[in-house]
Amino acid sequence: MTEVVLLVGRSLRNSLRVPAALIPNIAISVFFLFVFNSGLSSVGNLPGFKGSYLAFIIPVSIVSASVGGAGTAGQALVRDIESGYFTKLLLTPASRLALVWGPMIAGAMLLVGQVVLILALGLGLGLRSASGVGGLFVVLVFAFLWGMAFAGYAVFVALKTRNGAAAEAATFAFFPLIFLSTTFVPKEYIGAVWLKWAATVNPTTYIYDAMRSLLIDGWRARPLLIGLAVILGFATLTGVLALRQARRATRLG
Amino acid sequence: MGDRSIVAEAVSRYFADVKAVDGVDLDIGSGQIFGFLGPNGSGKTTTVKVLTTILKPTSGRARVAGFDVSEDSQEVRSRIGVALQEVGLDLLMTAREMLTLQARLFGAGAADAEATAERLLVTVGLDDVASKKRVGQYSGGMKRRLDLALALVNGPEILFLDEPTTGLDPASRLAIWEEVRRLNGERGMTIFLTTQYLEEADRLADEVAIIDRGKIVAQGSPVALKKEIGDEVVTISFASTEEAERADETLAEEAPSRRRSGRELLCYFSAAADRLPGLVRALDRAGIVTEGLTLSQPTLDDVFLRATGTRMSGRDEQGPEERP
Repeated sequence: MTEVVLLVGRSLRNSLRVPAALIPNIAISVFFLFVFNSGLSSVGNLPGFKGSYLAFIIPVSIVSASVGGAGTAGQALVRDIESGYFTKLLLTPASRLALVWGPMIAGAMLLVGQVVLILALGLGLGLRSASGVGGLFVVLVFAFLWGMAFAGYAVFVALKTRNGAAAEAATFAFFPLIFLSTTFVPKEYIGAVWLKWAATVNPTTYIYDAMRSLLIDGWRARPLLIGLAVILGFATLTGVLALRQARRATRLG
Repeated sequence: MGDRSIVAEAVSRYFADVKAVDGVDLDIGSGQIFGFLGPNGSGKTTTVKVLTTILKPTSGRARVAGFDVSEDSQEVRSRIGVALQEVGLDLLMTAREMLTLQARLFGAGAADAEATAERLLVTVGLDDVASKKRVGQYSGGMKRRLDLALALVNGPEILFLDEPTTGLDPASRLAIWEEVRRLNGERGMTIFLTTQYLEEADRLADEVAIIDRGKIVAQGSPVALKKEIGDEVVTISFASTEEAERADETLAEEAPSRRRSGRELLCYFSAAADRLPGLVRALDRAGIVTEGLTLSQPTLDDVFLRATGTRMSGRDEQGPEERP
């Protein structure tokens, strides 16, 4: 446990030492927030649309931020592998799990920081959370878990390729996940059958649903539980992949 | 004091079908300085990586500090210090941060870790820059000293140094030698040192093994190894390789123990002075012109040449690429 705390602390400190690497990611999520909110807010006036468009679009901003957060974790690991520092860590009796969790948790924590910023901006723009401050807190928990799930994937790719460019490129795989969903309009407004189908099988849809239900409807068990189940399933999958790859990569058995 | 020995039994490590290490046996007693000598790509680093639990052996067994490197790797890691050939440093951290973190990952409490970091910074002479500069701004020599300090944070019983002096200037090399002797003398640390420098092994090591193409070709104390090939070496050089080959055949009787290396022929004797006139006469009779003739004490390079048929110094052949 101490090992994890130490390694998370180190990863966080390192990330904050290269602020230039964090800024583009923050800029992209702010971009989503402002551009889509001001450009598409008339969607909120459609008959049957519940709540404000701002509350609808904020989860998109949060989920897109997690892509960058995940990339940070993967790239940090590749940098350690390339510099040989990862080998130095492998030579300590610290558990292999802690070595992989360090950058993952740090990445997810940076994401939470970013989400706090997004929510603050949203509140400034007039966001009202139907589930109150408690709901915003749950949104943060979802963001953290989602960040862990993405970071697991990024760490898996980083360990598999041992290449910074490949690890970064791999995060692009998440763009279909973000956009082939109820990204801009609720499912009932999606006309194309294929997109409706994609949105149904896309796990991101359920993350959007959970966050939106908190912001727009208040406390409703169903979307929260489905969202939580999807996120935990996804995080477990990528986490297991990352750990398996870490075992392989660290002993080259 | 715990078990500080290193034992390897038929350890092999393959990369795809390349045998980087091929059936290596080692038996290194507690408190020895062991020199592991070989040219580039001979399997030194791979052997170190197997003994330090970074790589799993493909076959064979190894025990370090009394623990199996495959089954009790955590026990092994907590008892050894390792400085690999390529330094492994985080360029964004400071030396103090890195040493403190490493000490804590080895289980030290916060206060202990800071004290250890401080002590080691003084030892390697980095205490003045330790908190101010990030490692990215260090010179090559400073990075290597920090890397050595990192290898010592856990007060290891066995220290592995993989080519610690490669690329260093003579003064830094001497400083490392002194440090190795001190660690071995004061703390009784077993030191496993790989090197491409024959002189280094000769000067530092109690016991030496020579590795070539993944196999150990000679093992023993430097004195005994040199003694094995004779007390003196006569090196005769010729104008061409063909001349040297001819001389090799001609001197079969006069110099029963000999090796040819390019345009040179090396003849090993217990007392060379008496044999010189006979050698010169035989060459003269065969009409072979010599370019030079020297008499010297055998070196570990001669041991290497005897064992492998090629000289180690000046050999620019690269072995199989070692992947991490």
